[in-house]
Amino acid sequence: MIRTPLRPLARILDARARGQNPDTIEAANLAARHEEMKDRARLQAERRLRFLALGFIVAFSVIALRMGTLAATEPSELGTTSSGSEITAQRADILDRKGRILATNMMTHSLYVQTADLVDPARTASELARIFPDLDAETMLRRFTDGRSFLWVKKVLSPEQMQEVHEIGDPGLYFGPREMRLYPNGHLAAHILGGSAFGNEGVDSAEVIGTAGIEKALDTRLRDPAQSNTPLQLSIDLTLQANVEEVLGTAMKTLNAKGAAAILMDTHTGEILALASLPDFDPNDRPAPALTGDPSESPLFNRSVQGVYELGSTFKIFAVAQAMDLGLINENTEIDTKQPFVYDGFRINEFDNHNYGPTLPAWEVIAVSSNIGSAHLGLMIGGERQQAFLRTLGLLDPPKVELAEAPGARALVPKNWSGIVTVTASYGHGISTSLMNLAAAYATLGNGGLKITPTLIHSDTHTPGPRVVSEDTALAAVRMMRKVVTDGTATFADVPGYGVAGKTGTAEKPKKNGKGYDADKVINTFASVFPADNPKYVLIVTLDEPVETAGSKPRRTAGYTAVPVAGEIIRRIGPLVGLRPDGENPMGTLVAYKDPVAQE
Amino acid sequence: MSFLEYRVKFAPTGFGKVLYVNWGLYLVITACAAIGWLMLYSISGGDMDQWAGPQMKRFAAGLVLSLMICLTPIWFWRSMSVAAYCATFVLLLIVQFFGVVGMGAQRWIDIGFMRLQPSELMKVALVMILATYYDWLPDRRVSRPLWVLVPVALILAPAALVFLEPNLGTTLMLVVAGAGVMFAAGVSLWYFAAVAGVFGAGVAGIFLLRGTPWQLIHDYQYKRIDTFLDPSADPLGAGYNITQAKIALGSGGWTGKGFMQGTQSRLNFLPEKHTDFIFTTLGEEFGFVGAISLLTLYAVILVFLFWAALQNKDRFSSLLLIGIAMNFFLYLAVNLAMVMGLAPVVGVPLPFLSYGGSATLVLLIAFGLAQSAIVHRLR
Repeated sequence: MIRTPLRPLARILDARARGQNPDTIEAANLAARHEEMKDRARLQAERRLRFLALGFIVAFSVIALRMGTLAATEPSELGTTSSGSEITAQRADILDRKGRILATNMMTHSLYVQTADLVDPARTASELARIFPDLDAETMLRRFTDGRSFLWVKKVLSPEQMQEVHEIGDPGLYFGPREMRLYPNGHLAAHILGGSAFGNEGVDSAEVIGTAGIEKALDTRLRDPAQSNTPLQLSIDLTLQANVEEVLGTAMKTLNAKGAAAILMDTHTGEILALASLPDFDPNDRPAPALTGDPSESPLFNRSVQGVYELGSTFKIFAVAQAMDLGLINENTEIDTKQPFVYDGFRINEFDNHNYGPTLPAWEVIAVSSNIGSAHLGLMIGGERQQAFLRTLGLLDPPKVELAEAPGARALVPKNWSGIVTVTASYGHGISTSLMNLAAAYATLGNGGLKITPTLIHSDTHTPGPRVVSEDTALAAVRMMRKVVTDGTATFADVPGYGVAGKTGTAEKPKKNGKGYDADKVINTFASVFPADNPKYVLIVTLDEPVETAGSKPRRTAGYTAVPVAGEIIRRIGPLVGLRPDGENPMGTLVAYKDPVAQE
Repeated sequence: MSFLEYRVKFAPTGFGKVLYVNWGLYLVITACAAIGWLMLYSISGGDMDQWAGPQMKRFAAGLVLSLMICLTPIWFWRSMSVAAYCATFVLLLIVQFFGVVGMGAQRWIDIGFMRLQPSELMKVALVMILATYYDWLPDRRVSRPLWVLVPVALILAPAALVFLEPNLGTTLMLVVAGAGVMFAAGVSLWYFAAVAGVFGAGVAGIFLLRGTPWQLIHDYQYKRIDTFLDPSADPLGAGYNITQAKIALGSGGWTGKGFMQGTQSRLNFLPEKHTDFIFTTLGEEFGFVGAISLLTLYAVILVFLFWAALQNKDRFSSLLLIGIAMNFFLYLAVNLAMVMGLAPVVGVPLPFLSYGGSATLVLLIAFGLAQSAIVHRLR
């Protein structure tokens, strides 16, 4: 760049020659140069401004373009596929034998919090406390702010709750999809189904595992992905189950019993049609096991499977049946019932100190329920054979049924099967077993002598079990039990036309201190098969500490408690299972109601 | 020696100034603010008192303040710039030690009737002092290293304080707006190239040092960056804001769902829907047409400012106008890019629309200064 000199010599000399001040030339030149510089700077500044403007235009275009593409795209909701895995572990449904749903799955959501994403922890905590009254706002706020990054709030939300939580609008609140187990019938069949709980919980799904009942016993089958679309069909009939539970519940109340249980079983296949234990619970909201108190008094306790009781006189039929099967006696053989009877230093009494004379025919030993007669039969058979027979019937082992509680119900059997055990076992004392075993043993007598294994699973095919007693013996046993209902201790169960046959049992409970028995605390059982000419069903009804107070003094024998309850159940379910009143009592035999023999 | 001092030709005085105010600019600004009131009214579900009412009052008060600033001679504001910068800097220091802690950051000073964010004020004060500095500095020294260090120090000192609050968005705005003024003032391009190089190295450093004890930014800031880079990886987590905003804009389509008909934004799907994410409501309820209309209004404002800067022969006024235009542009560009998923979520409000006192007030003060430069331009 060629600079214009501020003092060009020629012009200064020229100015001097004309008498002018050369400084003005210098000033003029300086001003001109400043102007020139300023113009250059301005030009540069304007170039840069245009460059900035270009940048703005580009940025605006990008934003407008983006806006356009967003407007053009279809809005899509967020899918659950975006993170984590699909929910695959669907649990199989449980149906009753007619295909009605007992347990199914429902899609629901859990609620959890990522504390780092919470915008307003205090408001969120108070809003959550408003929606869920069981939550405390202060506790929630403390948990939101004590440094943890993740916490569960609710494992299961109803759609209404979910909407309300949604409307809080805090981004720190998250919903996790999951399936929950639903038992649409509530309390019905609670002890069969048991219950379930969440196992491993993820934010995208949660494992449902069985915690009790058939849900636990068949957990692997129910969770097997290959069979998740094949429902598990139980042998239970929901209609029968509902009737049994209703009658049993009413009976428990009116007889002031602590508990009650009933089993209805097919004598030929061992399929259980109804199984009830009261008190019960709602498997949708299974209570936590109580930490104090007697677990056998808890609603969670399944009396028909878990409970092992001394079942008393219901065992007498086994002694008679075995003696007949061994050919030692027939139905009419006179059995020694002479008093007093002392064995090994123990005196054996009849109920209420009755005296039946020196002998009774075998059928009447059953009909009047003679302890001494049964004891003599036991001694005739001998301890070893008696024990083997009871074991063959399945009475000395835990019940083999598909319930988680079954294997724990081990029968209480004396280690040393001495003579006195033989004597007491023949009338049902000294050994305790489950009602499920009793039902199976009675089914064997009812079906003509074949062993059966109880089951809760419905099956169209059935393999007959091995023979336990001869058909003649079994038929004779049923005939004798029919006598019990028509002429003996169970007349209240003589439902017209259905030919009920059965045996009562009243067992005094062992005292809590372990010394002897408590006469006021009894377990009443009525074990029955029907119809008597070809028994198709076994019904066991048990009441825990019932008292019948209609009469002048409280009555605690099964004839007044368990028997009429069983009668009512049979009256109701007979038509439902397709039984027609047969010709035995074509007009109905209301007159046949006699006062039951006041002893067992 | 300033151009003003020896080339005074004509500048309006007295009430005559009112005629020279660029009323069109104020009209466009008010139109933007009115869109904001509509949106706030809609978001609150038709409740005037929740957001729309207070915002209108604030805008009115800010407008009065803006007019007062605009009628004060621009050379007065030039002489005030050093004092303004120093005072704001002291406020920033006070915030650092006595500020109100909100949302995990110290940003406010409680001055009774409102909470003041000095970092917002600093956006204006910084532009003012930089314009004054380059007005004073002879042109030939503009690119001398020593004279470049002075404005760099002026920019970085408040930026560092804001960064410590921590407020990443405002820090970036201060630095970029300051750099914009320096660029317009004619600082050699080599400096900018060098800074770009260092910045690239810094970004690399941030990512390379992640997870080590020397990591340079907060975990939540890393999370925001991650989320920005791939929002779909965690659509219900930290990417929630962005994804929901995109859904809202997408569901608006071309013409929108209609006033008060937006669901994404009204049903609390969007956090901060009345502040930083207010644009999504506009996009949802008025669609592409509404969004482009707002962009056009913003473009008109920027054109006004640029035109005034090019026309103005006074270096201070010109640089001030450029600085204000830069700031305004950064507000809207960063916010819109953030809402549309083009930039990480950094917490910058949408000018004149977002609910909030500080930003609106500062913008109106800035536009008051711009109008003052326009009014007192020598003609």
